[in-house]
Amino acid sequence: MRTLFVWMFFALVALPAAKAQETPQEAPQETAQEAQEEAQEPAQPATVEERLDELDQKIRVLDRKTEIDKEAAAEKAKTAGQATASKDGFSLKSADGNFVLKLRGYTHFDGRFFQSDDQRPATDTFTLRRVRPIFEGTVYKIFDFRIMPDFGGGQTVLQDAYIEGRFTPAFRVRAGKFKPPVGLERLQSATEILFVERAFPTNLVPNRDLGVQLSGDFNGGVASYAVGVFNGVPDGGSADGDTNDDKDYAARVFFQPFVKVGGALKNLGLGVSGSVGKQEGTLAAPGLPAFRTPAQQTFFSYRTDGTAPNTVIADGDRTRFSPQGYFYSGPFGLLAEYVTSKQAVRRGAVSQDLEHKSWQVAGNWVLTGGDASYRSVNPKKVFDPAAHTWGAFELAARYSKLELDDETFPTFANLASSASAAEAWAVGFNWYLNKNLRLMFDYEDTSFEGGATVGDREDEKVLFSRFQIAF
Amino acid sequence: MRIRFVLPLLALGLAAGPAAAQVKLLNVSYDPTRELYQEVNTAFAKAWKAKGGQDVTVQQSHGGSGKQARSVIDGLEADVVTLALAYDVDAVAASGLIAKNWQTRLPNNSAPYTSTIVFLVRKGNPKKIKDWDDLTRPGVSVITPNPKTSGGARWNLLAAWGYGLRKFNNDPAKTQDFVKRIFKNVPILDTGARGSTVTFVERGIGDVLIAWENEAIFAVRELGDKGAFQIVAPSVSILAEPPVAVVDKIAAKHKTAAVAKAYLEFLYTPEGQEIAAKHYYRPRNEAVAAKYAQQFPKVSLFTIDQVFGGWTKAQKAFFADGGVFDQIYAAQ
Repeated sequence: MRTLFVWMFFALVALPAAKAQETPQEAPQETAQEAQEEAQEPAQPATVEERLDELDQKIRVLDRKTEIDKEAAAEKAKTAGQATASKDGFSLKSADGNFVLKLRGYTHFDGRFFQSDDQRPATDTFTLRRVRPIFEGTVYKIFDFRIMPDFGGGQTVLQDAYIEGRFTPAFRVRAGKFKPPVGLERLQSATEILFVERAFPTNLVPNRDLGVQLSGDFNGGVASYAVGVFNGVPDGGSADGDTNDDKDYAARVFFQPFVKVGGALKNLGLGVSGSVGKQEGTLAAPGLPAFRTPAQQTFFSYRTDGTAPNTVIADGDRTRFSPQGYFYSGPFGLLAEYVTSKQAVRRGAVSQDLEHKSWQVAGNWVLTGGDASYRSVNPKKVFDPAAHTWGAFELAARYSKLELDDETFPTFANLASSASAAEAWAVGFNWYLNKNLRLMFDYEDTSFEGGATVGDREDEKVLFSRFQIAF
Repeated sequence: MRIRFVLPLLALGLAAGPAAAQVKLLNVSYDPTRELYQEVNTAFAKAWKAKGGQDVTVQQSHGGSGKQARSVIDGLEADVVTLALAYDVDAVAASGLIAKNWQTRLPNNSAPYTSTIVFLVRKGNPKKIKDWDDLTRPGVSVITPNPKTSGGARWNLLAAWGYGLRKFNNDPAKTQDFVKRIFKNVPILDTGARGSTVTFVERGIGDVLIAWENEAIFAVRELGDKGAFQIVAPSVSILAEPPVAVVDKIAAKHKTAAVAKAYLEFLYTPEGQEIAAKHYYRPRNEAVAAKYAQQFPKVSLFTIDQVFGGWTKAQKAFFADGGVFDQIYAAQ
């Protein structure tokens, strides 16, 4: 390289310079001013060696400047924050990682198409089921926060708003509005559930509530716990305040005994959760739930007309109990949960403890390119027609049932308008184009016991579709 | 009432933290003091332990003095600062991290050692550099760091300025032109003094390095081939007084105030002064200074207070945005 440089030097600099030396001076006399100006100019190297040295210095200076620029860039990188955009969302992060802001979100654009709904016509519709921007991040290294509004259905609801201190893996403290630790499918993100809508057991566990929760993992997730105190919402409910002084206490323990060992049972998880509390309703706020079909049609509600004799209200202890578990192995997955919800109710002078029960079993099979998981499918090859890769396809099937306490009817609910049980079969097809995009197609047939003036309520047969984008 | 059980759990979790370990100090210093403080730290840890103190580990951070001060102001949790000039410590003090009277808390204006500015040239002094005038000659390549980021560079410029004032009978315009001609010969500005030493010594750039005296002696004795460099002492230079201070708020937060104070006081002990002299800083202790007198060239020195009225005035006039340095360098 150096040799090449010397030859180039001779060709470009030395030879013309030598020719110039042969040229006679046209103006040998210099004025004093010109001499002074010349003295201010850099001295011209007289010999080839000096010129070579000068050029060598220039190259060294350029190299050193490049080196200094790189050092400055590296130094700046240490103190400058990072802005990233990826399939996991968009984020801003301080250089030390102690401060993070993430912009995430997801949208569910759904279609519901009812089949054979002659007796109980329902509207076939497209709907924005969920539109949820998510702002989450970290301040001072260990304090996380999350704010998630929902604009689905044209309404604005604050779903999550909490802060959480991560003091150790085994000790985290969360305060705000979030999902209480009851249920299994309820604790899955809406972006990860197997079907367009959750199964019946989710009707019996709280949706979101305000409270304080301690949680943590032991031994790398072999065991985990969560325990908290909450305002106490009705089954399936979500609220931003309380209507009485009493609180609910919720807890969950969950075990993945082989998660560190690995092997075929690595993704086996078993747990139990529940809540206890005392809830007193009023005529204005009875504190009791209504239950919905997968297509979000109400099939059960307590009697109410705003008067004490004909309005059922919560009137004492409420307990929930839910054994639960899942097992995933390669492309196959199985999820099951059972929930009971027992609530003391009163209508006028008549009081009763009512215990409703629900369960589900769901299985899935990832046909190509990905493993089944509680945390959704991450396709090994994303959808790219040019490369002839199509993402991952998944088949799913589910059975779920909700049974209401026999004592519910007729005192506390009207069997002519509320069903005493609902049983649903569903099959589904999911297409994961990539980690961010998913198409879902489900068919679900729900049959009822009661719920009609004569006989049983007409079966609900619904074709669901969903276009999901999540980042 | 039922939530009473939550509070003890919460308190238990919050209290559970790592147990107190050995004492750690962070010394945020300027560029060429790496070797000095490596030895000081070891000696101090031994002396502190011998006095019955804890095990002390002193971590070091080095860079251009101004940049280091900015890092401390911006959150670098230094227990002590040992910077190139008082102005940079004043800047940290202005942020509230150090008491305003920091300079009176230790002897000699909290400057346990001094230095000055000299020239480092290549073997045989091929460009015949003898004094500041020679740095203005066309064809002489001068290496000095960036005064915007380097304390040493600020001393360099002020030393040249002081010489210029003497040469031109305190004519600021002629002096500015003189200094401008020096900087016209500067092909590259490093962010710190050590970077300029690397440029001159390791990268082989330039004919003369304007350097801390300690850095120049260090280069002559320990860098490059033996005899590859030699020191030229100008006729006039500036007395550089690098100050030290405990960063009070951080030391209080770390519960290290006592050990941090002792660390700086150690610099004034005969052992600390001996270490400073071994690393070519001029010691304050007369006995130690006499012992090492031979290694320091005789130079006529002026102080920043005598010529510039102190660092605050000098900083504002020369190195603030739009100041003399900007006028000199932006015009090139």
